Order: sequence, then structure tokens, then C-alpha cells
Amino acid sequence: MSLNTDFMVKVAQTAIQGVPVTLQIVLVALVISFPIGILFALIRIYRVKVLQRVVQFYVSLVRGTPIIAQILIVYSALPSLLNMIIGRAAFAINPIYYAYIVFTLNAIATLTEVFRSALQTVDKGQMEAGLMVGMQPRQTFWRIILPQALISALPNIANTTLYLIKNSSLAFIMSVKDITAIAKTEAAFNYNFLEAYLVVWVYYLIICYAAEVVFYLLERYFSKYRRPIKKTSGFNWLPFRIKQPKLERKQS
Amino acid sequence: MLTIEGLKKSYAGNDILKGISIDVNKGDVISIIGPSGSGKTTLLRTMTTLEEADGGHITFSGIDKDFEKLTGKEVNTIRRNVGFVFQNYNLFNNKTALQNITEGLIVARKVKKSEAEKIALKALERVGLTDRKNHYPSQLSGGQQQRVGIARAIALNPEVIFFDEPTSALDPELVGEVLKVMQDLASSGTTMVVVTHQMSFARDVSNRVIFMADGHIVEQGAPKAIFEKPSEQRTKKFLTDILANV
Ligand SMILES: Nc1ncnc2c1ncn2[C@@H]1O[C@H](COP(=O)(O)OP(=O)(O)OP(=O)(O)O)[C@@H](O)[C@H]1O
Ligand SMILES: [Mg+2]
Repeated sequence: MSLNTDFMVKVAQTAIQGVPVTLQIVLVALVISFPIGILFALIRIYRVKVLQRVVQFYVSLVRGTPIIAQILIVYSALPSLLNMIIGRAAFAINPIYYAYIVFTLNAIATLTEVFRSALQTVDKGQMEAGLMVGMQPRQTFWRIILPQALISALPNIANTTLYLIKNSSLAFIMSVKDITAIAKTEAAFNYNFLEAYLVVWVYYLIICYAAEVVFYLLERYFSKYRRPIKKTSGFNWLPFRIKQPKLERKQS
Repeated sequence: MLTIEGLKKSYAGNDILKGISIDVNKGDVISIIGPSGSGKTTLLRTMTTLEEADGGHITFSGIDKDFEKLTGKEVNTIRRNVGFVFQNYNLFNNKTALQNITEGLIVARKVKKSEAEKIALKALERVGLTDRKNHYPSQLSGGQQQRVGIARAIALNPEVIFFDEPTSALDPELVGEVLKVMQDLASSGTTMVVVTHQMSFARDVSNRVIFMADGHIVEQGAPKAIFEKPSEQRTKKFLTDILANV
């Protein structure tokens, strides 16, 4: 078996048009779900009447179902629902909007839990100290509690982002023209499936790696107030370890 | 200046404070001593509104009211006129030593940033930490953190500063530097209410000692009187026990 490298180059060139689409889905989902996630986390922490039940139900609904089921439901329910409201124009809507909706709804549930646990790691003494220097609870929350919580949430936000990137590949089901969809079309057209999927594989690897680097840098920048981390525990810049770990060698 | 009468507090049906009355005058340095679990922390926390009291009356900075009837505005007034030094420091972890002090000035008092920094530097100087102003709490020793905690309280120039066992989370060799700062404050006329297990501080620095046990004030008076001839048996026993361990 040999790989058709010319075809791979061709797929790579076409599929790159899907990269912005993938990134768009991820960014839109993150940006919208971020503040809502914080709000939902607060509703749960402060046990706001009724609302906390709603949030809890929502989170378990999303977390307890496979994302593919969520995609299928949104994609089959929404267009016909819209059709009843706005008529035939509903079918002209760019399917990427459905992708925004599914992945945002999904990210909200994940981030709610991420922010909830992060907010709970901040010692309650921080709030009390704020009150005792005369600040309002609200001011203390924004200036003291939330910044600390966000920083401790960074690793989990990074995880959420990586999952989003990977899950966004399912958007092809909604006929969104992302990396996966384009490569699939090319593959089916030329019967070169493995080559096309390898290209997809590499693109996601690169995007995920870039995201990891971004989050590593964010974490390093914002964690400056924490106890200096051991120098050796820096970022593993190589996705694969090429060099063998050095063995302790006796000096003699 | 600050009067508390009949302060009561219970947690889940357990009466922790059973009617405490305290009178704090300007310039007082009051030490509160007593066995563990007697309600000393709870007393400071209810007096400063960190914890809601179940009953009692407060007279302080223009307020003359039962605790339960305090409005949000009055709670703010109380908080703005007291300082609190915590057992485990509770410095803002995401702020430098200097920012820990300016935060309350800028955000709560609306002092201009440059002015706030001037005040903060002066406070840091008083606790001997000018050279640590840009350090984060995690980069300071326990003793240094507690001194920043004290600087944060004094910078706001409150009418009275409450200390809840300010040295008991510290390694023994760091206790001295904090006590020294507190002693300086006391001799400069700062009004202080200090819960402490440091009998030397209670005896040598404060002008009044309150002995608490089981949610009551058992006895109070000048340090000399309390330490040399306590009138209550429980005080005597507590002091003998604690001094035997020094
Ligand atoms: N939030 C709370 N919920 C329930 N019980 C509490 C709470 N806080 C304090 N207590 C109880 O109140 C009692 C008095 O506690 P407090 O912390 O005031 O004692 P203390 O005199 O400060 O003791 P120590 O010298 O050990 O600090 C204890 O029995 C404690 O278990
Ligand atoms: Mg205590």
C-alpha cells in the first residue's frame, strides 16, 4: 500500500479553507459560553431559587447525552421550527449557525461546572478580607475572587477548548463546510480515504497544539502571583518526546 | 466609643455567645483570652458583622441599634470603621503587598491611586516591609504576610482594629516580629481588641484583659489584677494551665 502524496497535498490545500470555519465555531462557542458559564456557576453556588434547579437540569441534560445526539436533535428540530415562524427562509440559513448553537449550548454546560469548582477553590477568607476593608461583596467578587478563580480554571478551560476543537469536527453532520467535511468530500470523490483523513488528523493536531501553547502562555503569565512553580515543570513543547529522557549518569 | 450589649449567637441550636457585653474606649488595648471553643472568634466576627448576631445591641460611629435591625447601610458603616486582622492573614492572593493595602482605599474609600499609594507606603514602612511592596503573598513569609495584614488594616485608619489570634498560625520564630508591630501600634494609641494566646502580650501590652469561657465573659479587669489575683476559680485554672505550658 502506498500513499498518494500528490492527492494529500491537494486535499491539504482544499481543506485549509475549512480551518477558519472550525476556528469560528470554537471561538463563537467559547466567547458566548464564557460569561453565561460564570453566571450559571454563580446561580448554582448561591443556590438561587428555582434558577439553580433549571441550571442543574440543563447541565445534566447536556452532560448526560452524546454530542452527536444533541447535534441531530438541534439540526432536525430547529429548521422546521424556524420554518413555522419565518417560512421558507429558514432553509436558506447557513448551517454554521446551527453549529454555533449546538457547540455553545454544549460549552455552557461544561464551563458552568468548570467555573463552579474554580470559584469554590477560592478561600472564603478572601471575601471576608474584602468586606473588612470596606468593599462591597460585588466589588470583592470582581476584583479578588473571580480573577483567582479564572486562573485556577485555566487548565480546565484549556481542556474544554480542546474538546470543542475536536468535537467541532462533527459539524459536517449539519453540512457545515469545516475541515472534516471538505476532506470527506474530496475523499469520496477520489476514493482516497486514508490520505484525506490523515490530512484531517494533522490539521486538528496542529490546531490543538496551538491552543495548548496559547493556554500554557496564558497560564504562565497570569500565575505570576502564585508560588513560583518548579522550573522543570514547563511546557512540553514537543508533542512527542523525541529525545530519550536522560538517565542519571554517574560522574566517574 | 464602641459598646456591645447582650450579644447572642448560636449555630444550629448551640448557644455559642450567651449575652456578651463589652465597652471599648478610645485608645484601649483589650486582650480577650479563654479556652479553645469558648467563642472568642465568634465574638469578633459577630461584632464586626462578618457573622450575623441573633441578638444584642451595638453603639458605634453614630449607630445605636439592635444587631438584627441594622440596615445594609449601617452594616457598611460598621465595616468601614473597623479593621480586622485574620488568624490566617487572608491577604488578597492576586495582589501585591502594596496593592493589598491600596485596594480598600481606592475601591471602598475612593481615594486617588497616587494618594492611596502614598498612604500604603507609609503603612508598609510602619510594619518594616517597604522593600517587599511588590511581592505577592505567596512570596512572603507568614510573619511578613501578617505584617502586611496589619498594614492593610491601619492604612484605612479605622476607629478600632480587631485581631483574631494574629500570631497563632506562625512559626515560633516569626511571632516576635508581629508582636513587635502590634506593640508599636498599641503605644501609638491605636484602639485594639486582640484575641490572643500570647499571655505576655495580654499582660504587658494591653490595658484590659477579658477572660471568656463557654460563651460568657467570666471576668475582666486590668492585666495586673487578672494575672495576679483573679477572683474566679475558672480564670485561675485557665491561667495556671496555660502558664505551665510556656
Ligand atoms: N460556622 C460555624 N458553624 C457551627 N459551629 C460553629 C461555627 N463557628 C464556630 N462554631 C462553634 O462555636 C464554638 C466557638 O467557636 P470559636 O471559633 O468562636 O471559638 P474560639 O474561642 O475562637 O476558639 P479557638 O481558641 O480554638 O480559636 C465552637 O464550639 C465551634 O465549634
Ligand atoms: Mg478562634
